[in-house]
Amino acid sequence: MANIAAARIQREFKEVVKSEEVERCKIKVSLKNDMYNELEGTIAGPPDTPYAGGTFKLEIKIPETYPFNPPKVKFTTRIWHPNISSVTGAICLDILKDQWAAAMTLRTVLLSLQALLAAAEPDDPQDAVVAKQYKDCQEIFIKTARHWTNIYAGGPHRELDLENKITQVMGMGFDEGKARVALSSHNWDIERATENLLS
Amino acid sequence: MNQSAPPQLMCRQFEFQKIKMTDTVDMKSQNSDDSDYDESDNMDEDDEDDYCGYYDNDTDDLDIDKPKKSDDPEYFEFDLLHLEDAERLLNEEVEALCSKLKIDPSLAKMLLQVHGWNKESIIERHIIDHGKLLIDSKIKPAVKYKDTCFSNYRTCPVCYLTVQKDQMHSISCGHQFCKECWDSFFQIQIQQGITTGIECMEKDCNILVPEDFICSALSKPDFRDRYSTRSFTDHIEGHPQLRFCPGPNCSVIVRAKENKAKKVECGQCKTIFCFKCGIDYHCPTDCGTIKKWLTKCADDSETANYISANTKDCPKCHVCIEKNGGCNHVQCTKCKHDFCWMCLGDWKAHGSEYYECSRYKENPNIANESAHAQAREALKKYLFYFERWENHSKSLELEEQTLLKITSRIQDKVMNNAGTWIDWQYLLDAAGLLRKCRYSLQYTYPYAYFMEKGARKQLFEYQQAQLEAEVENLSWKVERAEITDRGDLENQMDVAEKRRQTLLKDFLEI
Repeated sequence: MANIAAARIQREFKEVVKSEEVERCKIKVSLKNDMYNELEGTIAGPPDTPYAGGTFKLEIKIPETYPFNPPKVKFTTRIWHPNISSVTGAICLDILKDQWAAAMTLRTVLLSLQALLAAAEPDDPQDAVVAKQYKDCQEIFIKTARHWTNIYAGGPHRELDLENKITQVMGMGFDEGKARVALSSHNWDIERATENLLS
Repeated sequence: MNQSAPPQLMCRQFEFQKIKMTDTVDMKSQNSDDSDYDESDNMDEDDEDDYCGYYDNDTDDLDIDKPKKSDDPEYFEFDLLHLEDAERLLNEEVEALCSKLKIDPSLAKMLLQVHGWNKESIIERHIIDHGKLLIDSKIKPAVKYKDTCFSNYRTCPVCYLTVQKDQMHSISCGHQFCKECWDSFFQIQIQQGITTGIECMEKDCNILVPEDFICSALSKPDFRDRYSTRSFTDHIEGHPQLRFCPGPNCSVIVRAKENKAKKVECGQCKTIFCFKCGIDYHCPTDCGTIKKWLTKCADDSETANYISANTKDCPKCHVCIEKNGGCNHVQCTKCKHDFCWMCLGDWKAHGSEYYECSRYKENPNIANESAHAQAREALKKYLFYFERWENHSKSLELEEQTLLKITSRIQDKVMNNAGTWIDWQYLLDAAGLLRKCRYSLQYTYPYAYFMEKGARKQLFEYQQAQLEAEVENLSWKVERAEITDRGDLENQMDVAEKRRQTLLKDFLEI
């Protein structure tokens, strides 16, 4: 079975590289080894979203039973999104689970992920905290997602007020990353975030 | 009265075939339902002799008034089938649909599986609109994919290899893939336990692949065997009237007309389970509640285990006592103080009509307390019920030992010519009934835990307390069977079983 997987990836590889969508939608795949079972994907944050301007990297693992089973994909770039874990980068997307079809390709996966960034599905969340914020306080969600894109994915928009709050919490002796997570998870309420950090 | 009911194998006449019933539990139904049964001459003594389940309904020789089928809240009609019988039964349903709708068996099987084996609903929908039925059942596509390529070669969308046109195969949706890819795909799906739910490999196409297509594409015969075994399992699981016995390595299939949370006992491995959810029988608690309770117990087991240790100190002389019997009425061997194992209170107080020990007293001011106090109160409440649940479960294990002791004592008596086996049979019956009552009692605690406060809960706890008291009395007497008068013991059995029946009748909501 392993030879089908490797042979398929080799052919797909050419397809993604050749495709004009690579230019248009900014998706990319590169090999991590010559076994064709570990790849790195890259997608650009879609325009008119808080992720615009960011570049997100993905870890793609090809199971031996590929393409009859889906590839294992997770974000290695940290991201604030209801369907992606802000801690582990794990993705909740139907086509990576039961809706996978053997006729799908890495290209379709990356395009679907890009579409997921543009249209979240908060009713089927991977990260419950983010999903709750997405539903209850859209504005804070957008600012937070934009801030995370700026910090981790090289996005162009800085959120100065959020950065100030992080600096304040860091002043109390907390690590920057932890301060960011605590503040993001508590709608940037310094008091509740520090309470959470202390407990 | 001393005559035990003869063990027997019953046969039931179905409209389509005669199926051997290995069920020996539901003896009652035999009395009230003569027309349906004819007794078989084949006696299978082994089946009964080594039986020692918690639920022994074989109490025909007791003084207890036998409830009629309509009165018994636990009454449930079911049959035990062997694999071949179940297979034949399914095949007959498939054939019936085939001849009715004039379709092939592979299609009929798919339709039945998709529609939960509801033949009537399929026929009804077939009459209204056959095409729509097939589309809704994921058998035919709404729009078939059309191959517009005129070349003699095709590229398989899965392996990307170019093969001759005739090497490509498709099911009703028209999506073409090469034979090797179908084969590999089916093998992997079967390995992952998917059979009747295998769908087309195309993106966004969920058309089901029919059995005959799969079997002809599979190149390895052992995969064909695995497919048929696994799809048979799928069919049984998808059939509302059939259940696999959950017992380890047991292949018996239970058939019941109604999908209810009722007691089923496997005739082969003696496992007793709930027909609806397949876990240990749990009346009067319902399937959802018992699941919640068991999950909770698993989550909180560390704390609870720590607290419900196996030993306690005598409340009077403080000597450490390890419980060695099932009875909660404990007598300290040192100072002879009688006390209740659960509340450590004086047993004298428990002998009276109202047995308070099973009722949890909630703190009435809880709403005004702090979050910590509320959490503590919640834990206290849970532990109260958990301790009682766990205690009965341990008592049941310990009473298993009491039963062994009784059996060996009877053996000794019979050897020494002190009466015959039949004369002492009542002791075994008492032990059996004790197990049954204690088992029901154990399962009243999850029910009470999740009950809303109010009059109904009060009534439930009152009845639970009554049953609790009688069960402990019975347990005390069974453990001291030699010095207990037989009439007294049988009277106690009667009282305990009546209390159990009353509670179930009032609270079994099925």
